[in-house]
Amino acid sequence: MSELLKVEQVAKAMEGLGTVDAMKPNRIRVATTPAKVKEAVQRALKDLKCDHVVQIAAVDNGKSFELIYNLTGPHHTVVSILLELPRDKPEVPTASDLLPPAGLYERQIHDLLGIVFVGHPNLKRIILNEDWPENEFPMRKDWKPNPNTFYGGVHTEEAK
Amino acid sequence: MDPILLAVYILLFPGFLFLLAYAFFFQFLDRKIAARMQARVGPPLLQPFADFVKMLGKEVIDVKGMDRKAFDAAPLLALAAVMTAFLYVPIVGNSPLAFQGDLILVLYLLTLPTIVLFLLGWLSRNVFATIGGVRAVTQMFIYEVPFFLALLTPALMAGSWSITDIVAWQQSHLWFAVLQPIGFVVALIGLQAKLERTPFDIPEAETEIVAGPWTELTGRRLAMMRLTMDVSMVVGSALVAALFLGGPRIPWTITPDWLSWIVGFGLFFVKTLGVLLVLASIKVATGRLRIDQLNDVGWKYLASAAILQVLIVLLMNYWWVSA
Amino acid sequence: MTEVVVPIGPHHPALKEPVNFKVVADGETIVRLELDVSYNHRGIEKAAEQRDFVRVVPLLERVCGICSHSHTTVFVKGIEEAMKVQIPPRAQYIRTIVAELERIHSHLLWFGVAAHEIGFNTLFMWTWRDREAVQDMLEEMTGNRVNYGINEVGGVRRDLTPEQIQAALKRLPHLEDRIAKYRDMVNKEATMMIRFRGVGKLSKDDILKLGAVGPTARASGVDYDIRKDDPYIAYADVPWQVITDTHGDVYGRTLVRIGELQQSLQIVRYCLENLPAGPIKITTPRAAPRGEILSRYEAPRGELVHFIRTNNTDKVERLDIRTPTLANWTSVAVSLVHQNLADIPVIVAAIDPCLSCTSRITIVNERGKKTGEMTWDELSAHGREFYRKRGRA
Repeated sequence: MSELLKVEQVAKAMEGLGTVDAMKPNRIRVATTPAKVKEAVQRALKDLKCDHVVQIAAVDNGKSFELIYNLTGPHHTVVSILLELPRDKPEVPTASDLLPPAGLYERQIHDLLGIVFVGHPNLKRIILNEDWPENEFPMRKDWKPNPNTFYGGVHTEEAK
Repeated sequence: MDPILLAVYILLFPGFLFLLAYAFFFQFLDRKIAARMQARVGPPLLQPFADFVKMLGKEVIDVKGMDRKAFDAAPLLALAAVMTAFLYVPIVGNSPLAFQGDLILVLYLLTLPTIVLFLLGWLSRNVFATIGGVRAVTQMFIYEVPFFLALLTPALMAGSWSITDIVAWQQSHLWFAVLQPIGFVVALIGLQAKLERTPFDIPEAETEIVAGPWTELTGRRLAMMRLTMDVSMVVGSALVAALFLGGPRIPWTITPDWLSWIVGFGLFFVKTLGVLLVLASIKVATGRLRIDQLNDVGWKYLASAAILQVLIVLLMNYWWVSA
Repeated sequence: MTEVVVPIGPHHPALKEPVNFKVVADGETIVRLELDVSYNHRGIEKAAEQRDFVRVVPLLERVCGICSHSHTTVFVKGIEEAMKVQIPPRAQYIRTIVAELERIHSHLLWFGVAAHEIGFNTLFMWTWRDREAVQDMLEEMTGNRVNYGINEVGGVRRDLTPEQIQAALKRLPHLEDRIAKYRDMVNKEATMMIRFRGVGKLSKDDILKLGAVGPTARASGVDYDIRKDDPYIAYADVPWQVITDTHGDVYGRTLVRIGELQQSLQIVRYCLENLPAGPIKITTPRAAPRGEILSRYEAPRGELVHFIRTNNTDKVERLDIRTPTLANWTSVAVSLVHQNLADIPVIVAAIDPCLSCTSRITIVNERGKKTGEMTWDELSAHGREFYRKRGRA
């Protein structure tokens, strides 16, 4: 049975990339920037021996977007790599080359929040229907459905 | 035979009307046995009849550009073929239409439904219906050789090509199921394959719900084709019962004629139901074969067994004649 | 090199839910897989932001029918963690019992469906009949066969009476018997082994790289099971084991699921026999303090994750759900590459997709510009045809 990672171990591995704090005994968070996130993921995979990506969570906290990459490994500790993106230009390099399942997760986040993953091979619709209008990102806090826009499905005039 | 009596024989009993009723009854029993073995309840007695009537009333959908007349006629052709085949199998005493070579005729007529399935697949203008039809014919090539051989060995031993004579021969000798057990087993397996039931339902059931040559059949065409398959099962079972289990006869003669007919009819029932029980058990107890496995089973085991049986019969004949 | 794009459209007669994925095939071999899972999207995450905790629980129950208890449990335990409250042990045991019964009925369902895929309908009927025993237990305990409604923030809503416990314990030996028989059947039944062995094989490294979870991952020797790695409710108290296998193919996944069935029965028995006395819920505050919780749960299909942000109100600020089937799709895509179109039904069924898998395949032959349509079953049929040709050649 592997030991849980300690904060010092994570801090050493993530040196120079951001601040490290322990949210719980088995969850350690690293706050970093979009430019350094790929390096952080790389270090988590190599130095911290993480081999499983649990989730890529995306939050709109009203002021900016946050992305949290949650990774875990045989040590059963979740390493959460957190970064903030500005609202007007939410771009971040893709992690799908390092983490193959991120291919699907990033498409979902792009559909719902509009975050652009630079370098993603196939950022197409996955979770919203194919006739959903462009540039409407429903999980954003400031999004409200516009009664005059057609969001897909059957046209109401046809239903009559 | 008196023409009126002949007409009654053909049309009512034990001809077409009886055949249709018995076909529905067979389907009911088959489904009931399968359901009970699968821990289910199964349908009520009149379910197959109800299904048939319901399907007759459903909308017939025509594929654009298909040959409607041929598509309509094909299921009827298949149904006519198997119903005619039934007339030559002894049900109560002798068949009045018996003649030398009627065994060959019956075997030929029983292959027509499979050919019709292929034809329907071809006419459907649906690429995958065609593939299903080709599957059905391919399967036929595989099982038909052992099936025919197994059904012809009783003829070899009885020295006649008429089913009625073969049945009569068994009355004074042993049943062929006892004399030719290998042939009996091969005939049962071949019959299961001919009826396209699990484990031989590759053409239709892996394309389970809607596909294969049955895809574009709707309404009355589907009702007729399904009825053909049911009637096929009855004719096949009756044929196997006649050739291997002695048909509607027992080794003792019963004096009042009418009593012997009733007993004969009862025997016919019992024997065909026995065959049905075996077929239903095989269907429930197995999963589907892949077609390459069917190839193996057909050629390696069934065909060799059938040829072996033929050789044994020829040797036995020679030995008896010279004895 | 003819590349054939096989778009698998949303409607399909034989399976449960709609999905659209395009399989790009080079002849018979699959080159890549593209995915569109929008057909069951109902905006649940957005709806959860506008409902208070009490009303979110029934909403989450309906994310999925087979893993409804999983979604509610992972959510309420996350909120309880945010509120820093501990629910009474009796409630934890009851949650565990329902969770394991859910796992049993889900695995039995999968087993029946897998048998149906290969044409072995008798096994399908038998496993689903045994499932009825589990559904009866659930109905007696919770009042419903799916969407049990037993969770709430702070505990469970219904208690187990001694009669219910006795009735449930009486049903267990029969289930244990049946599952032992199925285990034998999987090892001896030739038809099943031939269709399952060697199909969809993924090595341990591939599984980890592709992010697969649940029995799909454990069949390749990956030892991750949230019930052991990050224990919750009563799993730390109950003696049980994680089941892994090394085959890595559909056969391995079958063995893992059967092993898990046996373990689940053990857990249910232990919990029923050792149910601690006490209250079944505690009163919780209305609002949850500000915080961020990553709540993980081992659903029947794999690791289910709810990422919850709370903000001192009685609503969540963000609920981000990652279902196990979404995690497993990439492994399906990759395990189908270099396999044959023939194996699509069996491989997809092997991850036990809860998200969707209803498909009608349209085959576009790019060079010949011909189109044709295939249903799932025709694809299965095509599978047989393909194996026949391979058998001959």
